[in-house]
Amino acid sequence: MISITGLSKSYNKGAVKAVDNLNMHINHGEIFGFLGPNGAGKTTTIKMMIGLLNPDSGSIIINGHDIQRNPLDAKRDIGYVPDNPDVYDRLTGIEYLNFMADVYEVPADIRKERIKYFLDIFELADAAKDLIKSYSHGMRQKIVLTGALIHDPAVWILDEPMVGLDPKSSHLLKELMRKHCEKGNTVFFSTHVLEVAEKLCDRIGIIHKGKLIAVGTMDELRQGDNAGSLENIFLELTEK
Amino acid sequence: MRKFLTLLKINLNLNFGISALKYRFTREKKKRWEPILIAFAIIVGACPLIVLYSFMMAGVFNTGMVLNQPEIVLTVSFLLGQFMVLIFGLFYVMSMLYFANDLSILVPLPLKPYEVLGSKLAVVMVNEYMTLLPILLPPVIIYGIGMKQSIFYWIKAIAVIIASPVIPLILDAIFLLIIMRFVNVRRNKDLFAMLGGFVGIIFAVGINVITQRMPDGNEEEFMKNLLLGNIELIELIGSKFPPSIWVTRALSQTGFSGAIYLLLFIMVSVFMFVVLLWLANRIFYKSLLAGQEVSRKRKKLTTDEAERQFSKVTSPVTTIFWREWKILVRTPVYMLNGLSVVVVAPLIIAVMFLSQKSGDMQELIELINQSGTHLVITLIAIGFVLFTSGMNVVASTAVSREGQTFWISKIIPVSPKQQVMSKFLVSFFVSFLGTIAMSVVMAIIFTLPIARLILIVVIGAVCSVPMTALNLLVDVLHPKLTWNNPQEAMKQNMNGLLGMLISLAVMAILAAAAIPMAIAKLPEWIIYSTILFICVAISVPSLLGLFAAAEKSYRKLEI
Repeated sequence: MISITGLSKSYNKGAVKAVDNLNMHINHGEIFGFLGPNGAGKTTTIKMMIGLLNPDSGSIIINGHDIQRNPLDAKRDIGYVPDNPDVYDRLTGIEYLNFMADVYEVPADIRKERIKYFLDIFELADAAKDLIKSYSHGMRQKIVLTGALIHDPAVWILDEPMVGLDPKSSHLLKELMRKHCEKGNTVFFSTHVLEVAEKLCDRIGIIHKGKLIAVGTMDELRQGDNAGSLENIFLELTEK
Repeated sequence: MRKFLTLLKINLNLNFGISALKYRFTREKKKRWEPILIAFAIIVGACPLIVLYSFMMAGVFNTGMVLNQPEIVLTVSFLLGQFMVLIFGLFYVMSMLYFANDLSILVPLPLKPYEVLGSKLAVVMVNEYMTLLPILLPPVIIYGIGMKQSIFYWIKAIAVIIASPVIPLILDAIFLLIIMRFVNVRRNKDLFAMLGGFVGIIFAVGINVITQRMPDGNEEEFMKNLLLGNIELIELIGSKFPPSIWVTRALSQTGFSGAIYLLLFIMVSVFMFVVLLWLANRIFYKSLLAGQEVSRKRKKLTTDEAERQFSKVTSPVTTIFWREWKILVRTPVYMLNGLSVVVVAPLIIAVMFLSQKSGDMQELIELINQSGTHLVITLIAIGFVLFTSGMNVVASTAVSREGQTFWISKIIPVSPKQQVMSKFLVSFFVSFLGTIAMSVVMAIIFTLPIARLILIVVIGAVCSVPMTALNLLVDVLHPKLTWNNPQEAMKQNMNGLLGMLISLAVMAILAAAAIPMAIAKLPEWIIYSTILFICVAISVPSLLGLFAAAEKSYRKLEI
């Protein structure tokens, strides 16, 4: 469960409002797609949700824990994948995954099982012993994804997770997201691929110039004047 | 040509960080003092060396006058300058032409290979002037004034200085173009970075040994003897590398013959440049792409291995400790500037002391040994030990080194206090290695018994606690997280300098307490206990402050 209330953030001493009084509630068992044009405030919102940026005002509750007041408990429940997979180049894949498992205090038998599972499905077992420096963009994305999910967090927060993934891995990730939500967990992800959002998400939020301009299921978004595909709805809403 | 000039402009901009500086001066006004302070530190640091060098060159000039060959000062300095460009330029040209990050952007652009190579080489050349000017200007000025030269000399001198790095750099570039076509050096990039670093350290040690051997106040006399003994050698080297001789003649001979040599020097430089560009067009991209393939071992993880690897469950503090350690030893810049310094510095001291059986140093050692007390020796040894651990920048760049990966530290459920604790332990461990290395060197030089050695190690280790904590505090409060090259995190980081100053301050406090007590001839144990007491007294608030600052600062830092 994610609950965001009155969230605001500005840059350059208030000159640029990146996120403006955002209110959202994402339920258990829900995949939530977060859309918006470039520079709309998606990444800023996500970064505040996981504690990389400090909001000017408002609160973010992750599974009952306030990320500002109770950061460690909130972080234990989050699996986060950034839009740019900057990881430790000088560690091997295995070292990185073990590091993540250690900091999330994952017991040996569970980490063994999960690391093996992810390395297999993402076809990373061959590269696991190499330095991450030698990985392609997609491989980095997959190792970051594995590191983020190693502790089986209840809330997944993913910033453009499909970028750089090959069609097979992308498909796998979508399946994983669906399964995760079926178990009553929460997935929040941003994307520019509207087809993915349309097919995968239970609900969609559209942010534009820092404000949430639409939120709801596909059916709800189609209501009113906005008939048609998500692309049409998106273009119509964000060109206003 | 216009493309080339645009490329050159943008490369120079990037190299000197002109846009970044502009931004800093107009937008980030708080940080505008940093570059000024760095420039000031460089000038203050370089001045004594330049003055010493100028005295040496004056000695060469005077000796040349006696031999009726005053122009030898020009030959020596141009040989030295061009030789340095040739050696250091090799690593520099290699990193610019083959390892630069922007190559992947430049290669797909509709640019000719020679335009890319030419602009990169021009940037190297501009940078080399910074090294060459202090080497070439003093002798050119000494000769010009000493021989009462006309205005033509000065005009020729400017032309020659501008052209002087061209030939050695082109030689480097041609050598690399050919080598890189066949050898995949890129695969061993780290190895070459380390090699380059060690050449630098060896060079620095060499300079140290030479300046140590030079009798104070008699630099001219020393140079005279050195020169008289080696005049044949200089002529021999000159004959193998004629450009230095041409330069000498271009400057020292007047009228037509001087002009001819100047023309010869410039023509050969231009000719070689043309050859290089021709060669670049043919093989630069081929050799560049030959090194592009990234190699991976691609060994499959066996079940046994997986079993072993994933069974190692460690605490967050331990796992962060190992992360820090692995990244430190696997990144050449960090390894060279952080770790090897604490081992190399004691070695340099050992070489300096032990290579001079009859020098001033030996007299000093004997004098200290004769003083009849081990106290003075122990205090001096502790001073050296603290200096070694205080001058390393591992703690003062510990957070900065994370750079863009700092997001991981922000999202993991490990408290900043624990994370900083791991960093403290790694930094302390590095200092401790330095403490042991320097203590052993001191024990050998002063022939100290084991008990003294242990005493020095213990005091050194305890004293490095407050220094490490305060150094780390500096970086926790203002880490430099935005950088493109690990070098910027460690070498071009103000926190490193600040940390050293803080370490010096701690050492000053300890010295201010210990020296008067030693003069007052208090019992040894009281002096050592006082030092330890002061260290603990500084350590407790430093560590508490560090952990408190970590909690606040980690929360405040945004990435």
